[in-house]
Amino acid sequence: MSALRQIAFTLNGRAVTADVAPHHTLVEVLQEQFALYGARESCAQGLCGCCTAIVDGRAVSGCLYLAAFADGADVVTIEGLADRNHLDPVQEAFISCNAFQCGFCTSGFILMTRQLLEQNPDPTDDEIRHYLSGNLCRCGTYPDIINAVHAAAATLHKE
Amino acid sequence: MTPFELQEPDTLAEAITLLDPDDPAVRPLAGATALMLMMKAGLFQPTRLVSLRRLDDGLRHIFIDERGELHLGALATLSDIERSALVAEHAPAVTQACHTLSNVRVRNVATLGGHLAHGDPHMDLPPLLLALGARARAVGPHGERWIDAADLFVGYYQTSLERDELLSEIVIPSPEPDTHATYVKFTALSADDWPAVGVAAAARHRDGVIVDAKLAVSAATERPTRLPAVEAALRGATVCADTIESAAEAAARSVEPLADLRGSSAYKREMIRVHVRRALVTVTRS
Ligand SMILES: Cc1cc2nc3c(=O)[nH]c(=O)nc-3n(C[C@H](O)[C@H](O)[C@H](O)COP(=O)(O)OP(=O)(O)OC[C@H]3O[C@@H](n4cnc5c(N)ncnc54)[C@H](O)[C@@H]3O)c2cc1C
Ligand code: FES
Ligand code: FES
Repeated sequence: MSALRQIAFTLNGRAVTADVAPHHTLVEVLQEQFALYGARESCAQGLCGCCTAIVDGRAVSGCLYLAAFADGADVVTIEGLADRNHLDPVQEAFISCNAFQCGFCTSGFILMTRQLLEQNPDPTDDEIRHYLSGNLCRCGTYPDIINAVHAAAATLHKE
Repeated sequence: MTPFELQEPDTLAEAITLLDPDDPAVRPLAGATALMLMMKAGLFQPTRLVSLRRLDDGLRHIFIDERGELHLGALATLSDIERSALVAEHAPAVTQACHTLSNVRVRNVATLGGHLAHGDPHMDLPPLLLALGARARAVGPHGERWIDAADLFVGYYQTSLERDELLSEIVIPSPEPDTHATYVKFTALSADDWPAVGVAAAARHRDGVIVDAKLAVSAATERPTRLPAVEAALRGATVCADTIESAAEAAARSVEPLADLRGSSAYKREMIRVHVRRALVTVTRS
């Protein structure tokens, strides 16, 4: 009844296939079949953003997203941001602003920040808080995260 | 989650034949956000889900027809709706409500059809669609029918859709000139929580007199509910603090709020009074 089916998609720029059951979530498949642990399940109900992945250019909660829906899609995870020698400017900004403590939430915040800055290159504090309201940091590094978003915005302006 | 079979038909007609009018374990699936929450909590264990995401008719349209009515496809995502310039122009209260509905990632995936068909009284858009006089197009094995938004929500997680009927679009009629509409979301646990009380109002006034008013409450009630008696009392009344205060009082008395982790029944009744007042102040400002 829940036979495995093969899905084909682009993962961080590479064409891949995976065998998934209908009830598998995207975050399960990323971890179990591709050993990508940057997207991870914490709340498991769409609230915290730790499981964020970008599917066809839009951020989704991997914990609420059926893996079967990724068939034919372009999927980007935190592991796909840096090239061999350079981190993404948003990653750099999070490091330089110390915008994490344990780091469990960080991949989600970084991916969401990239989405925000694509849509709104120079957000205000309120716009940042609003956009990132679906991401939770249990270490409470929110003030540093807001600084990091501004810092990343400034770097991206210069580029 | 327990295993299930997933079908991904190409046409609406095929999707309908895959549904089962008698089996509650077979359901359509759109963005899956609401169903995933239920399945993960073990509240729903489907045998078959019929995904609508590959439908060739798309059903993601957003357009205004020649009569000035706004059509929103059932598979339009809440982000599509939030970012649509047409929606912002024609129904700005809908745009406003989308901004505080859940979070970006959920809105990117959740569809309007799933938002309405779930019948969850805590959803933000249903009361607003009631106040805006919207209607839904439903397609089933015997053709299609129109359902007034007010007749769509019949009980707690219950709609008037048959199990083998699908929503294909929502239509918001062209508002009478000078109509103002708003949605007020009151959250009790955190700023961006689900609503503890939702209030939607639409009204038009001329020379200090209310010509027309529509009012709906949700979240605290077992289903989004229009308040026709309060609306009738508002029609013809002068725009003043007394009018609004007594309408708010009447609204609070006319519903039976359900107690839950977001508050007792008495607390929610008081919050309904406060937020109906705020909504009416907003829509009667010149
Ligand atoms: C973390 C989180 C926070 C949230 N916060 C809020 C909030 O603050 N305010 C709010 O309003 N909502 C909130 N929601 C709920 C969200 O709005 C709904 O989950 C979403 O709108 C459902 O849409 P969907 O396409 O994902 O539906 P699905 O899960 O795919 O389906 C929902 C239901 O509708 C049926 N269905 C789907 N499409 C159709 C169709 N075209 N015709 C007939 N039946 C159909 C399905 O069978 C199912 O019963 C939240 C959700 C999450 C996960
Ligand atoms: S684990 Fe997916 S949003 Fe929290
Ligand atoms: S850094 Fe620990 S949860 Fe955010």
